[in-house]
Amino acid sequence: MSLLRLENVTKRFGGLVAVDNVSLEVQEGELIAIVGPNGAGKTTLFNVVSGAFLPEEGKVFFEDRDITQLPTYKRAPLGLGRTFQIPRPFSSATVRENVAIGAMFGTLAGEVSVDESLEIADHYIERVALQDHRDKEAGTLTPVEKKLMEIARALAMKPKLLLMDEAMAGMNPMDIDDMVQLLIRLKEEEPTMSIIAMVEHIMRAVAGLAERVMVMHQGAKLVDAPTKEALTDPRVVEVYLGQPKGE
Amino acid sequence: MIFEQLAGNLLQGLVLGAIYGMATMGLSLIFGVLKVVNVGHGAFIMVGAFVTMWLFNALGIIPIFAIPAALIIGLALGFIFYYTIMRKLIKAPELATLLATFAMGVLLEETIKLIFGSEFRGYNWAVGKIDLGITVLPFSKLYACLGSVAIAVLLYLWFNKTRAGTAMRSVVEDSEGARVCGVNVDGVYALSFALGIGLTVTSGVLLTMFIPVGINPYMGGPYTLKAFVIAVLGGLASPYGAFFGGLVFGLIENGSYTLFALLPNVEPFALTRFFSFAILLLILLIRPTGLLRTK
Amino acid sequence: MKVDLGKCYPLIPVYAIYLVMFFIGNNMPGMWELMAMLAFYCALGQAFNIFLGMTGYVDFGYVAFMGVGTYGMALGITRLIQFKALGLGLIVIGFLLAMVMSTLLALAVGAVALRLRGAYFAIATIGVNEGFRFLIEGAKIWNGSEGIIFMSHMNEAVGDKIASAFSTFWADVLVLIIAALAAFVTLYYMRSKIGYALTALREDEDAAKVMGINVTKFKIIAFITSAIFAGLLGASAWALKTPYVFPPEVFEIHYTVEAIIIVLLGGAGTLLGPVVGGLIYGISKYYLAIILPGFQLLIFAPIIIIIIVLFPEGTVGMLKKRVKGTTLERYIV
Repeated sequence: MSLLRLENVTKRFGGLVAVDNVSLEVQEGELIAIVGPNGAGKTTLFNVVSGAFLPEEGKVFFEDRDITQLPTYKRAPLGLGRTFQIPRPFSSATVRENVAIGAMFGTLAGEVSVDESLEIADHYIERVALQDHRDKEAGTLTPVEKKLMEIARALAMKPKLLLMDEAMAGMNPMDIDDMVQLLIRLKEEEPTMSIIAMVEHIMRAVAGLAERVMVMHQGAKLVDAPTKEALTDPRVVEVYLGQPKGE
Repeated sequence: MIFEQLAGNLLQGLVLGAIYGMATMGLSLIFGVLKVVNVGHGAFIMVGAFVTMWLFNALGIIPIFAIPAALIIGLALGFIFYYTIMRKLIKAPELATLLATFAMGVLLEETIKLIFGSEFRGYNWAVGKIDLGITVLPFSKLYACLGSVAIAVLLYLWFNKTRAGTAMRSVVEDSEGARVCGVNVDGVYALSFALGIGLTVTSGVLLTMFIPVGINPYMGGPYTLKAFVIAVLGGLASPYGAFFGGLVFGLIENGSYTLFALLPNVEPFALTRFFSFAILLLILLIRPTGLLRTK
Repeated sequence: MKVDLGKCYPLIPVYAIYLVMFFIGNNMPGMWELMAMLAFYCALGQAFNIFLGMTGYVDFGYVAFMGVGTYGMALGITRLIQFKALGLGLIVIGFLLAMVMSTLLALAVGAVALRLRGAYFAIATIGVNEGFRFLIEGAKIWNGSEGIIFMSHMNEAVGDKIASAFSTFWADVLVLIIAALAAFVTLYYMRSKIGYALTALREDEDAAKVMGINVTKFKIIAFITSAIFAGLLGASAWALKTPYVFPPEVFEIHYTVEAIIIVLLGGAGTLLGPVVGGLIYGISKYYLAIILPGFQLLIFAPIIIIIIVLFPEGTVGMLKKRVKGTTLERYIV
């Protein structure tokens, strides 16, 4: 049984095909990266998996259960977590409350009390080293701190699969390294959790993080292979050499 | 006999509907461009009504000439409210603009009440009528209807033939994209809001040409609800949809009134008002973005 | 779910204010009327805040729930008058009816409106008031536009003396109790998962869904709760005080306006806010009525605008920021 399985998913917006017949399988504990330039369809794909969009064709299975039509809010308790490219904190709530919300309505929904959720929140806040900001309003954090809080909040959901949406865009190389180390450590602590990280084309992060890479181009899957193989694939090289410098 | 009466009422409904439609175009314009729902809509219509009444009763100016006066007053109000209030609320949550426009409406109502008092007023512009067989239409109502259609046509030309109008359309489509293309989005917002308010106040003139009585500071309320029904009918962001929605609404309103009047043990006027609300809920249930969706 | 008594600190200032109000009204001559009015506004604010403050959605048709509650009491007393032996029990039934009827109306409206986003929701609710009132008048339900006069029924059921006691004293005490209850429920929600879910959906509805929150369910919970308190308020402050109900009066939109002013003034989404807002608004209105009768809205409309633009968090919101990090923090919520 695979954790996540996409079968021939196609998503159109009017005449534009944003996701073109994409199939994908993710197993428990895998760490894969979806790579592709802007507009390649990665965010749309994430949106289909998290339930914001209904695909025109194809199906999405989570633990062999068809969730294609399942409303977004029902996917979290099943084990699907997500962070956003531009963090979406609940601004007027504190960092602690934000992360606790993850615990309350994620896979532990119905099993934890408010106090227990706050304790779980404290644990993950420490993991991302935000404990000094614990009682601050989330809206007052810096962008990097908000990103870290997003991750803590998603982790508090105790997801089986974490969709990380361009977690590294807009960070300088040192921050990226820290982030990569953090994620590797997290993976060691939660070996059964799978992560799909969606990145543009930051090679350092990709190489340090993922065991497998799927490259998307214009909505379709170009390549889906172990990291080294994928990055040296001639088709991938061609797609990226065609991009302007500085990305 | 019944059919003749029904047909007559329906025609009157169509005439009134043109005015309702025109009254709603401002609402749709503001929502389309600024994504703001003007909850105080009816109050602005009321302002137009008072302008007409005062110009006629105090200065003897006939309502047709009240139209440009109302338009100017409306534009001025719109610009003032935009630059003092709305502009500061662009980043605020939706709740803020809803409450702000609501408060603007209340402010207008209370100010007019302070100046004119809360009694019901009217005016009498007797210009004769025209007999159309199934019904008799006073010329004032005819002028109101023609005025509404004329304004709708002018608006169409504005959106499609002028630079400013095209800029507005671009912002409706995609404000970020428009900004990137060099459109002065803030200017478009200001102009759209002002124009929307201007249209709404002007519609008050036309409305009183149709119903020259019952003018009081709180008359706007029912029109706000009707405008929302019409806007939702025609698509909240589409001024043209609003116009046609108005026609449809006029028909439904008069038609249902005639039918309710036939039923025993009901008050047709009140029931018609309830009916409009029921329609609103029904449309929102089925298709919130509008039944008659035009571009 | 247990509520730890230690967490009840925020209720202390609220209940203290209510107790003070009661004592002033009861013991100082001529003050009862003012205190009763203040109590009404505090209760109105607390009830309205449960929805507006916690979800960030505006229900422009809110007063319809008060109207329906008034009808509930009126109908309970008039239609069940054959059970007049129940005496005060009839009044209890009236309250129950008020709760049931407001719940039903809330469900009916909510089923359509709560699935809609902000602006569409506001539009849907604008007509609720009008719609319901004109349904009653148009279809001549419950005596249509003639309304219900039930003073004689009240006298029959509980006797002249008690009926009059309600009118002059007990109705207002009940209003204060309703306000206190609403405060308790507000705090309870705030501290529970309901409160967290509502905060999330208020800030970012889509992100809340991704976090696993069934936003519609929580909106409905807040909506119905708020509606029930409105119904109870109508049943006591209106029906029990003046035993007649007349559609244009109980569906008057200006009560919704006042509720909005009170909640914004005090601080939407806070516990103490509606109390403070109710007091400020009530006292201002009382004295304005002496100086400039009939024009309090003229003064308050621009005040709302100023609050929205400059002080969206309201009086208590600003107070909260000031006391952050001090011992007062746990009292001002």
